[in-house]
Amino acid sequence: MSATSGTTSPRIEARGVTVRFGGLVALDQVDLSVPPASVVGLVGPNGAGKSTLFAVLSGLLAPSKGTVLMDGQDVTGASAQARARRGLARTFQHPELFPGLTVREHVVLAYRLRHTRHRIWTDLVTAGGFRRAPVDEDRRTDALLAALRLTAHAHRPVSGLPLGTSRLLEIARALAVDPGVLLLDEPSSGLDARETDELATTLTGVVADHGVSLLLVEHDVELVLGMSDVVHVLDFGVKISEGSPAEVRADPAVRAAYLGADHGEERTSA
Amino acid sequence: MTVTAPPLLAVRDLTVRYGAAHALRDVTFDVPPNSALAVLGPNGAGKSTLARALSGLVPPVAGTVVFEGRDVTGSTPDAIRRAGLVHLPEGRGVFPSLTVMENLRMATACDRRRRAAAVDRAFEIFPALRERQRQAAGTLSGGEQQMLSLARALMVDPRLVIADELSLGLAPKMVDVVFESLRRARAAGVAVLMIEQFASRALGFADHCLVLQRGRIAWSGGTDEAGPELLSRYLGDATAA
Amino acid sequence: MLSYVVAGLALGAIYAIAAASLVVTHVSSGVFNFAFGAMAFAVARFYYFLYVEHGWPLPLAAVVAIGLFGPGLGVLLYAVLFRHLRLRSPLVRIVATIGLSVALPPLVNLVLGQLVNVTAPGLAPQPVAVFRPFGTVVDMNQLIIYAALSVVLVVGTGLLRYTDTGLKVRALVDSEALTAMSGVSPTRVSLGVWAFSALLAGLAGVLVAPTAGLSVDGMTFLMAAAFAAVVAARLRNLPTAVAVALAMGVVTSVIQRYLDADSALSAQIVPSVPFLFMLVFLIAHALRGRAGDAPAGGALDRAIRAEAAGAPTATNRSGFVAPLVTLGVVACLPLVLDDFWTGLTGTGIALATALLSCTLVTGEGGMIWLCQITFAGFGALLAADLTANSGWPPLAAVLVSALCVVPVGVALGLLTIRLGNLYVALVTLTFGLLAQNLVFLRDRFYNSGQGIYMPRPEWALDNRTFALLALAVFAVLGLFVVNLRRSTAGLAVTAVRWSEAGSRTLGLGIVPVKVLVSAVATFVAAVGGGFLALAYQSALPDSFNPFTGLVWLAVLVTVGARPVVGALVAGVAFAVLPSVFQTYLPTRWAEVPVILFGFGAVMLARNPEGIIAMHARQLRDLSRWRQSRREPAIAQGDLA
Repeated sequence: MSATSGTTSPRIEARGVTVRFGGLVALDQVDLSVPPASVVGLVGPNGAGKSTLFAVLSGLLAPSKGTVLMDGQDVTGASAQARARRGLARTFQHPELFPGLTVREHVVLAYRLRHTRHRIWTDLVTAGGFRRAPVDEDRRTDALLAALRLTAHAHRPVSGLPLGTSRLLEIARALAVDPGVLLLDEPSSGLDARETDELATTLTGVVADHGVSLLLVEHDVELVLGMSDVVHVLDFGVKISEGSPAEVRADPAVRAAYLGADHGEERTSA
Repeated sequence: MTVTAPPLLAVRDLTVRYGAAHALRDVTFDVPPNSALAVLGPNGAGKSTLARALSGLVPPVAGTVVFEGRDVTGSTPDAIRRAGLVHLPEGRGVFPSLTVMENLRMATACDRRRRAAAVDRAFEIFPALRERQRQAAGTLSGGEQQMLSLARALMVDPRLVIADELSLGLAPKMVDVVFESLRRARAAGVAVLMIEQFASRALGFADHCLVLQRGRIAWSGGTDEAGPELLSRYLGDATAA
Repeated sequence: MLSYVVAGLALGAIYAIAAASLVVTHVSSGVFNFAFGAMAFAVARFYYFLYVEHGWPLPLAAVVAIGLFGPGLGVLLYAVLFRHLRLRSPLVRIVATIGLSVALPPLVNLVLGQLVNVTAPGLAPQPVAVFRPFGTVVDMNQLIIYAALSVVLVVGTGLLRYTDTGLKVRALVDSEALTAMSGVSPTRVSLGVWAFSALLAGLAGVLVAPTAGLSVDGMTFLMAAAFAAVVAARLRNLPTAVAVALAMGVVTSVIQRYLDADSALSAQIVPSVPFLFMLVFLIAHALRGRAGDAPAGGALDRAIRAEAAGAPTATNRSGFVAPLVTLGVVACLPLVLDDFWTGLTGTGIALATALLSCTLVTGEGGMIWLCQITFAGFGALLAADLTANSGWPPLAAVLVSALCVVPVGVALGLLTIRLGNLYVALVTLTFGLLAQNLVFLRDRFYNSGQGIYMPRPEWALDNRTFALLALAVFAVLGLFVVNLRRSTAGLAVTAVRWSEAGSRTLGLGIVPVKVLVSAVATFVAAVGGGFLALAYQSALPDSFNPFTGLVWLAVLVTVGARPVVGALVAGVAFAVLPSVFQTYLPTRWAEVPVILFGFGAVMLARNPEGIIAMHARQLRDLSRWRQSRREPAIAQGDLA
């Protein structure tokens, strides 16, 4: 389905990434890699640097030091749009939708940017705005909308959509470019418990069907631990733990980071 | 809760919506006079929204907020503040381009007669501020800014202080200072509503605790029962999917 | 030399007062006041009304006009308009104050009477006393200007630094939310700020009247010049604004010493000085990456605003019926009307084509360009030049010159790509003013106001054929715009407009999309300009004044900046309505349509859709309700 390379190099990888804002070190020598067809979780308390790392990986922010690789190739200097064309897609904590477009148009645009990019220009002289969409495009768009349970909203403008639906749409839009790796920034924040469950089910299904690797930033630790193969924990810009969900759950450093250093352990043992 | 006196703050079915998203749903609780309530929960649970709705910064779509027997639902933030509810916002609640002294004067701009005494009290609470009074607040260290923010709240004899993530990003020593000053304010009769992502200190400070999850109250009770409950809510337990 | 400096300082002092007023309101209430010139005019006109026309004693007239009427106007405007703008999108904020600037002067003229003679006295008693210190000449007006600036600076600084009121204002600049949470009502503080700022506007207006003339143009020019100082101060820094304003005044004056006062060069360079200043500072800011949208307030304010900001538009996928009917009605007008009205309709249709470029760039692309009229002017002048001086066929000349103007628009688009909305508006307005001074007013084009003769094609000499030709061209370009909007390009433009981060992470580059919009919009504007020249049978530089462009924009957004027929209705209304009023109502009512258009744009603060969109929605909702008795869909709309 997606642009799978034959190698085993990670879909995306951060090596020694450091970001400084003025004097503040937001990320300090962080390593992280997302192997093909895997789900990697990234957790950490507020202000730990998760969103900063996302911005670096997706090319919206240049790191002060360190490199970013996609499928083994250095993309540190590549722009966000160049990385997108290499198969990187992402969602945002506050969904970055296009309020002038309908739900379906979001997916159509993303599909065309990947498959019929020339239409941005050729439509102008071939009256593309008045012709019917090609069958392939329709089929793929409808399938994605159905997979993310957006069919009922297809022709609604996105303003006024519930947050949960907006997040699903961001994911549909991201999948429409057939990414090799999908970065999800807080996909469950602002959703209620039922919506979160649905989202987890949908995401698991999508990974299985499309062979996409996921990198998941979440505050809902339960969700991350439930879905991920590997979890990385950031605190104050430093990676404090890495391992399987069970290992991370048992790590005292993680418990301390979440509950505050002094009382955390006493209370759990009580 | 053994409530004998009428509550200082009574919140009923408070609902806040940002566009389509429900930020708070049907939140109901009381804060008795001179008590301390810890509001806990993961990021995005609606803690800061709760604080902003109580202080009038964001309008609720439903529910009521009664403060000292007066319905203040939908009042402007300045009116609520003058009624004695002080909100210390997340981040630094100071005017960065004003000096320390000007920040303190601004805190008393609505009651100028008692300004001199109030400024004295601020310096009494945090003597370190006195030396910095001509410095622009934006150039203070994080801890000093938090002290200033807290001084601005405590100098005016508030009835209720809402402290949103006071300890965020502070060195442990500074966190001690901040909590100590809140403790003394409580001793002087101020009620405190404390919002924290880091649970243990808040639990050590408050008598009651509210856990918010996805905009709803997921749990509430005495702080002594809150530990294990919280831990499982934060980190999940072994049985979680 | 000294005398040039003396005169320059007086001019600079007026700029400084104006710049101070603009900066104070912008930093404290987030509104950049494009209506400053109009407010200055209103106060100066009222002063003239009291002092000259009713013979009030000078001090009394001055105190009542500047001290009472000005602040009163500021308070009124804050209460009805500016207060609502804080949470609006940048586009609505800018267009609403532009609407006010369009509506207010004719309203004042309507009430107080149109002035024929624009020479007005300043604050000095007549006859104006003249002093000769150190071998130079200073008159009383200039002394009063120096004194006024000194008083404003001393009082202003004193208020801001040392009083509680000033403390509250500075606190408000830092954070509105935090100010409210300190128990201080931001509304009351803002009210005071607007009153003070309007007082300064009135003062600047009265002071500049003796030299610049008591006219809207004079006041608007003063405002545009003050913009340069404000941009230099990055819209925030009061001392820089004052210093640059003074420097601009002195340079403007001193430069005249080295220029032949009667030369064409002098006539072009002297009024351009402020705009050249602005250009230099803008480039400097942009190069250092400091010309983005300055976020107002602190983190808390942004958090609340992001949460409160309403969800914007749904694309109006309205059917084909209403546009076709509109097109049909306009097509019938030339067939049923007499020659005079047909001529006006033809002009209106040509204008509609030019307005279509605003539909594209602002309505579709969300870029606040205030220089579409300048591109139209370029197109008109170039086409007329090719036709009249090189003997080209008129239509070929229009087409080729439009293509020649495209690179100018693309260059401007690339230059402004990283700028914030407000800076884009200011840059494009400045570009228009520079083009006006340096190009349009050249003798070669200006020709004492006659412009360049532009013959119509031989088969379209009569107004009826021409109107239908213009309509056909509009229809073709309109169809092109509709196609663009519905095609992949349109999706891409909308995507880039609403979220650059979202677009880039989809692999959609910002630059190509913005270049596309600028190129197409510039082309359409230039074609529209060419047809305007054909309509007038002359390329008239005066009709492409950037301030007229502001009225164009006001008309367009009043009718609706997104529908293609909106441009058609707006163009025809703009051309025909004033004559309707003139013909059938007393002469003094002639400007009423302009007032209405201005207020239409002002109403955007309340209803950001425009009239057509609003009524269309109401009709749709009504019929839907009738048909199915379902709850009417809440089709929220927003220009931006």
